[in-house]
Amino acid sequence: MAFPDLGAILKGMSVTLREMLTPPVTIEYPKVKKPVAARFRGRHELKRHDNGLEKCIGCSLCAAACPTDAIYVEPAEQTDAARYSPGERYAKRYEINLLRCIYCGFCEEACPTGAIVLEHQYELSYYDRRSAIITKEGLLVQPPAPELNTPRALRDPGNLYSAIPPIKGGVEE
Amino acid sequence: MPQVTIDNKKVEVPNGTLIVEAAKKVGVEIPVFCYHPKLQPVGMCRMCLVEVGTPKRGKDGQIELDANGAPAIAWMPKLQTACTTVVSDGMTVRTDTAQVADARRAIVEFLLTSHPLDCPICDKGGECPLQNLTMAYGPGQSRFPVESKFHNAKRVPLGDLIMLDRERCIQCSRCVRFQDEIADDHVLGFAARGRGLEIVTLSDPPFDSKFSGNTIDICPVGALTSRDFRLSARVWEVRDYPSVCAHCSVGCNILIGERDHAIKRIVPRENASVNEIWTCDKGRFVHHFTVAPDRLTTPLVRKNGNLEPATWNEALDLVASRFKEIKWHDPNAIGGLAGDRASNEDLYLFQKLFRQVIGSNNLDHRVGWSVTNTGADSVRVYGAGVGTNLGALDQNVTALVFGADPEEEQPVIRLRLKRSARTFGANLIVANGRVTKLAKYAKQSLVYQYGAEAYFLLGLIRAILDERLENRDFIATRVQNFDAFATSLEPYTVERCAEICHVKPEKIRDAARQIAQSPNFLILYGREAMFAQQNDVAVARALAALLLITGHLGRANNGLVALYPHNNSTGAIDFGVLPDGGVGRTRVERRGLSAREMLGRSNERPSMRALYVMACDPAADGNFVKPEFLVVQDLFLTETARLADVVLPAQSFAERDGTFTNTERRAQLFRAALKPIGEAKPDWWIIAEIAKRLVSGLQFQVSGSQVSGNLKPETWNYATASAVMDEIAATVSLYKGMTYAALAENVKLPRPRSGQGNPSEQPTEIAMGELENISSGKVWASVAESDARAKFELVWSEPSRPLTADSRPLTLAVARSLYDGGTLVSKTQIVQARVPAPFVEINSQDAEQLGIADGARVRVSFDMRVIELDARVDGHVPPDAVLIPNNLDGTAALPMGARVKIEKV
Repeated sequence: MAFPDLGAILKGMSVTLREMLTPPVTIEYPKVKKPVAARFRGRHELKRHDNGLEKCIGCSLCAAACPTDAIYVEPAEQTDAARYSPGERYAKRYEINLLRCIYCGFCEEACPTGAIVLEHQYELSYYDRRSAIITKEGLLVQPPAPELNTPRALRDPGNLYSAIPPIKGGVEE
Repeated sequence: MPQVTIDNKKVEVPNGTLIVEAAKKVGVEIPVFCYHPKLQPVGMCRMCLVEVGTPKRGKDGQIELDANGAPAIAWMPKLQTACTTVVSDGMTVRTDTAQVADARRAIVEFLLTSHPLDCPICDKGGECPLQNLTMAYGPGQSRFPVESKFHNAKRVPLGDLIMLDRERCIQCSRCVRFQDEIADDHVLGFAARGRGLEIVTLSDPPFDSKFSGNTIDICPVGALTSRDFRLSARVWEVRDYPSVCAHCSVGCNILIGERDHAIKRIVPRENASVNEIWTCDKGRFVHHFTVAPDRLTTPLVRKNGNLEPATWNEALDLVASRFKEIKWHDPNAIGGLAGDRASNEDLYLFQKLFRQVIGSNNLDHRVGWSVTNTGADSVRVYGAGVGTNLGALDQNVTALVFGADPEEEQPVIRLRLKRSARTFGANLIVANGRVTKLAKYAKQSLVYQYGAEAYFLLGLIRAILDERLENRDFIATRVQNFDAFATSLEPYTVERCAEICHVKPEKIRDAARQIAQSPNFLILYGREAMFAQQNDVAVARALAALLLITGHLGRANNGLVALYPHNNSTGAIDFGVLPDGGVGRTRVERRGLSAREMLGRSNERPSMRALYVMACDPAADGNFVKPEFLVVQDLFLTETARLADVVLPAQSFAERDGTFTNTERRAQLFRAALKPIGEAKPDWWIIAEIAKRLVSGLQFQVSGSQVSGNLKPETWNYATASAVMDEIAATVSLYKGMTYAALAENVKLPRPRSGQGNPSEQPTEIAMGELENISSGKVWASVAESDARAKFELVWSEPSRPLTADSRPLTLAVARSLYDGGTLVSKTQIVQARVPAPFVEINSQDAEQLGIADGARVRVSFDMRVIELDARVDGHVPPDAVLIPNNLDGTAALPMGARVKIEKV
């Protein structure tokens, strides 16, 4: 009968005891959430200019760049009386099918105005496939102030003639 | 032929070829903005600069040789524009040198100093030559900050249809030159100079041209955009389906750009024999009817006095059972009216249903036509030869345009005849009772008196015979009854005819000489001539005689072209939707009733117990009495449909496959672009379903005495429209072999687009006019052409004497307006401003006598009818005539040649 190797046991126990004292790597998700990396690609957001106008000009380049055909854009013409974005074109409908999206970020890269950004929202689950299609209302961020929401009549019509930054006068006031 | 060397590639090209065209032959691309193959070169943009050299010649005129024994080249000290330099023998061109690349880069950079580069919101983006050439030849970066760029107005309406962006314009003048050279509507021009140079419209209403939409296609930047398509989709997102315009009888080839099951835009598709690369604004913009919210979506059946939605089975069973019942009593109590807007497949099955299953010849397509004699037999026999290209008639062709107004009725034919006359020197003789726009291009414009058309033609014939210019060989071998004809013509001297038709005798003689001496002679006759034929049979016979005595038939550029009003009028005649004409322009033994006879007068009992009305609206013309059982098959709930017992929803041309036969007898294929609206079905399917139901019940009823053909339901099984055309191609001799595959040969589609779902690096360009000589579709041959030994008979009939001026103060002439008050046009908001208010044109002399000023409101009364219209006094009608377009609000079914009284309101 061999004498138990006490040294080995102690060695093993020391690891156990040491780990008992270190803080745990797991977190109590969803009560606790870990911050993601700065360049993490989560759900898309449609950004606004500081004056509340939408950066998206409805050019459909994101849809053209999308490898999975997840983006649908229906553009339309706008006037100063009902402004959504600088320039003549705006996105009347903007939809992303999040089940199709592979979060590659090509849309971000294609966007000439920096309107679409893959942000840090990653909690994407649905009860049905239809609700995986996220519309413009869901994608658009809140305006800086409620009165800066779109569409709105411009205070200084004719100011916004160019849709693509860098633009002088491309941003109202 | 000069031989030139371009980038070390040798090519032989005809004299007068431009370097830019010669380069295309060897596959060298020279970038251009202002140059367009269809327009005169101007050398405005300088993008096409190349190095050009010619062989060095010594003092003795001999070509000097260099050290290698090759001809030495004397290079021109500066770069030359390839679009204006004509090649010469031995010329050497270099496009691949650093100097050329530098020049191109500089030109692009220069153009971009005043171009906003707002490609992401520009409608041209994706098919823009400036974008493509900047990517290919331009600098990668701008040295100008965008703020210091030249800015200009961005949203300038240039008329109702076109929007101008002055900032994007690069002043290439393609649009101005198109309007001046091709359309010949001088409505665009340049204003100011230097940086301030800008496109302006010179007309009121602005951009008043029927071809304005073509400037959108040829604009090399996004300066001119369609106000219809504007910012509604990106060009790479619209899918293009090859189709054929469904408005007039030209049959322009088009591409339907579809997105989200709606037509976003229509652009012309190149076909050298039909429309080149153009289409008119009606064809381009009037497409909203296809997805109009009031389209019929389900079959409707009348229950308790109201039309209520029903299933297809319910509606079709009802139609079949009622037809069966009425047919049991009298098959001739059932009549069929089919509009000539339906496709060949529909019209063929429609008459097959009536002739083979129902056993009735009561068929007609001339609903709402004031014309009933369109000269169908003459076209069958003397129709213009296969290969006739109305846009490329040269100085060896004399064309008589007789009683037609193509500017309003077949706009693209006006463009093409103008091109023939101005570019190729064709000899046009335009004869009508008034001055039309085409008269400008004619070597001779003759204005005869309405009602005296026969005298005008007999005058021409007599003048030919007087000068012994007739084709005696042809007459001796192929023409019968010439002597009797000549004898009957004896009392009709040129002077006498001239006096009656109010054309000077020397003008008649001159025209006659040109007709007889020309190697080729073509007659195009329009609606006013058809009216004349109807009022006087001598007109049709004289037209035929004019061809026969000169022997001008049976070859390309010779014979007769009838200019019909609708997209498939020719098909309706070809497939025998006529009381007396069978399939393939044959004659039927037992003549049925015509549309007019079937519809009767308002105070009469309808002569039909049942009417099957497809794609037409007889009730809109008034005086319609509903028969016992009325079936209407249409896109919309028309006035007739409102009265119907059963309404069947049909598909528009954009939702289905089919073929139309244009006015030159060219059958052309169109493809489905949209998904069907609601439960709408193609016309051919509906007809076949009714036939199947009728046949399965009839097998036990009919003894076969009236109904020939085999009455088996299997003969009505067509899976697709192409199956119907296969049957036509196999059984109808005129359409022999014209299957869909044969008609699709040479169909030109745009270059594949880069972008979604179609990874291709090829740039997209529309309307470049690169395919001279390529045509698609098939023309059937007339008798004169297919049978080289056919004999023709000259038939004489006395011309009826026109009423003299005093017994008939004003003669009514009936014209048409391109933009009409019809259902299809009314669905397109954007063109409504172009639909004129109903008007009457009066000669200034008559107007003065009656005290009517231009624009005054007048009351026109004739035949117990009174209409109120605006008067126009603008010098288009001769004295003693008034002209009213009959397709505007309240002017339907006007009788040509009627006696008219006009008074001020």
